[in-house]
Amino acid sequence: MAKINVKVCLGTTCFVMGSANLQELIELVPRKYGDKVEVSGSPCLGLCSIDWEFSKAPYVKVDDEVIKEATVEKVLAAIDKKLK
Amino acid sequence: MFIDIDCHQIKKYNQNAFGDYFVSKRYPDEERLVAVLSDGLGSGIKANILSCMTATMLLRFVEGDQIPIRKAAEIVMNSLPVCQVRKISYSTFSIIDVNDDGIAKIVEEGNPDFIWIKNGKIMNPQYEEIPSKTHKNRCMKSYKINLELGDRLIFCSDGITQCGLGNPKLKLGLRREGLIKFVLSRLEQDPDISSSELSDFIIKQARNIETDKNPKDDMSALVLYCREPRKSLVFTGPPFMQNKDSEYAQLFADFKGKKAIAGGTTANLISRELNIPITMDKTISVGKLPACSYMEGVDLVTEGILTLTQTLEYLENGKWDIDNAAGKLVEFLLDSDCIYFMVGAKLNQAHYNPTLPIEIEIRKNIIKKMKSILQDKYYKKVSMQYM
Repeated sequence: MAKINVKVCLGTTCFVMGSANLQELIELVPRKYGDKVEVSGSPCLGLCSIDWEFSKAPYVKVDDEVIKEATVEKVLAAIDKKLK
Repeated sequence: MFIDIDCHQIKKYNQNAFGDYFVSKRYPDEERLVAVLSDGLGSGIKANILSCMTATMLLRFVEGDQIPIRKAAEIVMNSLPVCQVRKISYSTFSIIDVNDDGIAKIVEEGNPDFIWIKNGKIMNPQYEEIPSKTHKNRCMKSYKINLELGDRLIFCSDGITQCGLGNPKLKLGLRREGLIKFVLSRLEQDPDISSSELSDFIIKQARNIETDKNPKDDMSALVLYCREPRKSLVFTGPPFMQNKDSEYAQLFADFKGKKAIAGGTTANLISRELNIPITMDKTISVGKLPACSYMEGVDLVTEGILTLTQTLEYLENGKWDIDNAAGKLVEFLLDSDCIYFMVGAKLNQAHYNPTLPIEIEIRKNIIKKMKSILQDKYYKKVSMQYM
């Protein structure tokens, strides 16, 4: 099975809107899912500038799925759904 | 040619203010640098006021070519008051006006003669003596010299040349000869030493010579070093016109020197246009800032506004945390002589969303402030281009 790729946006908007608090994912995900899931930062996913009027930063991408107003729980739930 | 300049100072033992004053200004448009070192009579606050007034007034006179340096120095020499206690003029000065071709005009009054080092040898330049028309004991020396790549000039206050006075080994103090000796031996070990390190070294050596390491006078060492400039480029923000992306990315690729990118979207743009993949650290944040990322051929890749804002604050305070992205950007900037900023004018409207928990500055304004502080406080040559 292909690895699930989790990308946390570290662009300015996402960072101030809370991606700074997603550091936990970096330690939590490998512990929980081993090497089935890979988490990394991304300089910018470019989503806030498209979606600014309804800004829902911070954004995280789990493969191609965009998670708006991402929290650790939301990201873990999305990973669980993919793994099912 | 770039003139690397720095001055280190220490106060006289038990004083709470510097009695020597150093001031310098770079004029990038005229490719010129003016620096003044003045030693105020006495020590502490009084000397500080005297030297500060002399140095800043001389700089004011000379900048913008309002008055030629020789004339300005003569006016100051003739008008300096006489100290009521010691009956001698109340401050000394050395002023240097040098352009990027190495043509230097120097005038000194009362300070130890400056030292000119070329290829490890001490030069003895010709000078003209200009006695004061109003004060018999005042006489200034005026020089016009041509500096070349690798040349160094060292100016100091008499606190350096007289350090160790009365010491059994140095009855007459270090003197100019002693200073030359240890500077030359240091240059032999480290021929490319920066002005900042050399002036710091001179000060520390002089202090070590003093009995109990307590400076008996204010000490200043001003060093100028002519060298090939270390160039660097900071590319920040996407261009206003998106169809110009590839053109600017190519300019970035062609730049000869160190390169940094500040901005997530900007990093993506360069990565896309130049086909260089981005890799990230296995971390999200370091010290309240987003972590750096990496691209081959780029020395530093950071997030944009937050990192730039923190960098500006670090530069203003003169203290930084080397572990985070802003600390790395500070080191990147300070390790350069000529810094080019390419500043994208495109705004991300999401940054101005009033619900954002912090206020985000406009990129252009941060870079403008950074430019002036790099020029005025760190003596860098800075230019910027909007795109």
